[in-house]
Amino acid sequence: MTYTRRELLERCAVFGAVTLATSIPLSSLAFAWDGAEKKRTPTPFCELGPFYKRQAPNTTMLRKPGDSGMPLALGGMVYDVRGEVVPDAKLEIWQTDNDGHYDIEGYRYRTVLEPGPKASYAIDTVMPGHYPTRVCQHVHYLVTAPGHKPLITQLYFATDPVFDGDPDKNYGRDPLITSRELIRPVMIKGDPKQITAAVNFDLVLEAL
Amino acid sequence: MRAFRLAAVLVISAVTAAVASQPVAKVQLPCDSLYQMLSPTGKQAVVACKDHRSYLVSIPDGASRPLLPAEPRVSALVYSKDGQWLAAGFPDGTVRVMPGQGTAAARQWKAGPHRIDTLYLFPDGKKLFVAPVDSPGTVWELTETPTLLATLPVAFGGMDAVAVSPDGELLVAAGDDTVLRWYDTATWQKMREYNGFLLETFVLTFTPDGKYLLAGGADSRITVLDPASGQQVRQLPPEAGSSVADIDFLGGPQRTLTLYFDNSGEKPPHALFWDLATDKSTPLKADSRPTCSGIVTGKLWLCNSDSRTLTILQQE
Repeated sequence: MTYTRRELLERCAVFGAVTLATSIPLSSLAFAWDGAEKKRTPTPFCELGPFYKRQAPNTTMLRKPGDSGMPLALGGMVYDVRGEVVPDAKLEIWQTDNDGHYDIEGYRYRTVLEPGPKASYAIDTVMPGHYPTRVCQHVHYLVTAPGHKPLITQLYFATDPVFDGDPDKNYGRDPLITSRELIRPVMIKGDPKQITAAVNFDLVLEAL
Repeated sequence: MRAFRLAAVLVISAVTAAVASQPVAKVQLPCDSLYQMLSPTGKQAVVACKDHRSYLVSIPDGASRPLLPAEPRVSALVYSKDGQWLAAGFPDGTVRVMPGQGTAAARQWKAGPHRIDTLYLFPDGKKLFVAPVDSPGTVWELTETPTLLATLPVAFGGMDAVAVSPDGELLVAAGDDTVLRWYDTATWQKMREYNGFLLETFVLTFTPDGKYLLAGGADSRITVLDPASGQQVRQLPPEAGSSVADIDFLGGPQRTLTLYFDNSGEKPPHALFWDLATDKSTPLKADSRPTCSGIVTGKLWLCNSDSRTLTILQQE
């Protein structure tokens, strides 16, 4: 991507730069800048938990008719730290049902996804319940991709009552939450009779 | 896996008392204690205090000395089989090996990049297995300056359990990736893998005669494996809704005490005696809630503590 000189100057001004070194070609500067803008920090690690299970089915519909709990549309993208999409990632996602129970015998609320070249994923599920020995509602992720360090992490919800509406201040109430970054905003949609939640959770992998 | 490690401590803390018992010792505690850990010889106990300090208390005389300060908090703690050494792991990846008895110098070094979740002192007391969270396992020679002998990779995550054969020739490690890996301890080359589990393994132990390897975990049951071939021999009946947290042998190779935690987190932990000759189990009777347990010379010891007194009973 190449910026016009005017765009570069405007953007430099935003960041407080008043001069541009004349010996650096503008296109190089723009390229470096573009890279810096896209750069992402790796998604923090968070415990695997004791109930990971191999060989989950490939499904985007984890919620079945009649399941209790608020429907949740969960999705996002898989990136590397340069901000490029990771086209050959594999995502394993698992969570409790609305009552806070993991399915150990079977594969309810467990899936394996291969997002493909666009590196985007989306699943329909429910808001997980509170597992009794954990403080917060959470969804587990294991993301693997050739050339990248496997990512084990968990997603948390800013609406979790544990945070008392202030996850910045209260995320330490769950000792397993390693970073505020893992707590994502929840968009509530629909009419009062059919409320659904939507959460975006992008994942950023480190190169090996 | 920190949550699970803590849960495992609670499991051990919550073994319920059998009916017939005889007193072993009653000692004063140096602090208001959360739980205790008996040494394999029964000659001392690590006392974990509510303020997060810990002490070593001699049994039966009750003499105590400080073991670890409140900070940094310990993330893993294990005795050597002979009770001579204690190894502690910390959140910054540091490991400390301390004399359980005597005045030998402690050794401390950075053994991993992350919190130490699993430690195992080899039966010969000369090597230490260290498993940091989300990292490969490592094996260290416990010389004056500990040296790295081997790095044992895992597909992802860390390692949950490890066992060394009684003859010391074989190490088997269980990874977060649900795979068991066999290593030759002379060369540290991987010999074989067992991929038969879909869920994680939390405990590995060899029978005292070394003929079998027992694995237990989130699949609710003990799986008996042939250490020589790496093949499954049989599985014991599952304990529905529970995960295997620990397996100890009572004396010979036939009888185990197996601890389970409830997968839903709603029921208290419980324990079963398994007879490996018949594959039948009997429950450890519920009576009270001890604060530590251990197998000492083939007998089950259980403790009860109030705020300042520890009572140890041997179960018949």
